[in-house]
Amino acid sequence: MKQGFSLDDLVHDLEPVRPFNMVRAIASVGAILAAAAALIILSKGMRADVMAGDPEPMFLIRAGLLLLLGGGCGWAVLSMASPAVGKQGQSWKMALAAAALFPLAALVVAMTGRIEVAMSNMRYGLDCMAFSGIGGLATAIPMVLSLRRGAPTNPERAGWLTGVAAGGLGAFAYGLHCPFNDVVYIGVWYSLAVGVCALLGRLIVPRLIRW
Amino acid sequence: MIANEEGLRRLMRLSQGGDKQAYAILLEQCGAWLARYYRQKIAPDAIDDLVQETLMSLHRKRASYDPSRPFLPWLAAIARYRWVDRLRQGYRNEADSIDNHDPSEDSHEEVVAAKISIDRLLDLIPASQSDAIRCMKIEGLSIAETCQRTGQSQALVKVNIHRGLKRLSALVESE
Repeated sequence: MKQGFSLDDLVHDLEPVRPFNMVRAIASVGAILAAAAALIILSKGMRADVMAGDPEPMFLIRAGLLLLLGGGCGWAVLSMASPAVGKQGQSWKMALAAAALFPLAALVVAMTGRIEVAMSNMRYGLDCMAFSGIGGLATAIPMVLSLRRGAPTNPERAGWLTGVAAGGLGAFAYGLHCPFNDVVYIGVWYSLAVGVCALLGRLIVPRLIRW
Repeated sequence: MIANEEGLRRLMRLSQGGDKQAYAILLEQCGAWLARYYRQKIAPDAIDDLVQETLMSLHRKRASYDPSRPFLPWLAAIARYRWVDRLRQGYRNEADSIDNHDPSEDSHEEVVAAKISIDRLLDLIPASQSDAIRCMKIEGLSIAETCQRTGQSQALVKVNIHRGLKRLSALVESE
């Protein structure tokens, strides 16, 4: 028996708490994402084709996949805040598989030698990584707060997924400005942005959420 | 009185709202449920400590329970997490024997109990890993005895325990 443990103490210590609510958690991430997208548009401007109401197909595919990636992994992260045996969702695997389309397509196209757009616009690529990272950091905050308040049973996976989700959502927000439609450019720089966020998530988040 | 899902769920909802009377009953019933849950999964003299640790986790993390979902799978996830954590801390059982009580015999909800049990969790990892964990971490055998019982070398036992605990912690929410 542990010294100093008493059920009466726990009862005495009881305060009302606001129970975990998935809708509220999603809304907080969505609000931050909207704010990040608005800040990027205000500071860098929106893509001309989107502004004109005639978006390029590549923009739509990229935005859709990044939202799928960020949304699927973000959903998994927020679910981890409220654990339950039998609840372990696998939707993030589908989202990751779908998002692998761009780096794979970029690899195939790069092997044909068409890499000039990606390589000659390295400065923009670094911008893409930096702004995606900043947007991702913003969306990671409510996810980490939910995990800290919750009881994630797999902190390492929660870290990876927080990074991937944040990277995907941050890249989506920056994608509203990014004018490039080249598949190698997207495959290299957007994948790097998501990959770096995932790595940072794995390194930093588990320390913040262990209980 | 044996707790059931509906009753515990109602008590937890009231507790989240600050009802101390409901919370006292909830803790008492969860304590009894956890003692049955952990029986045979850790040395008998360590059960009290583990139950207390889990109740403290329940207290600290009570906001993480979503009242729209079943209660026992949530409690089982907390309990499994604490159990794996305890095994990972390098706990060594000094008790000689483990009684043969079957926790599912006490429950009215055997199907749910089987799905959320720790046995089910151990079934999800390779037999070589679960055997090594059962021998050394649950029954408290020495490494030599574990090698003899499982037919594994010392190095393999250590590797299997390390890998097994890692996999268990990744599978806490699996059915």
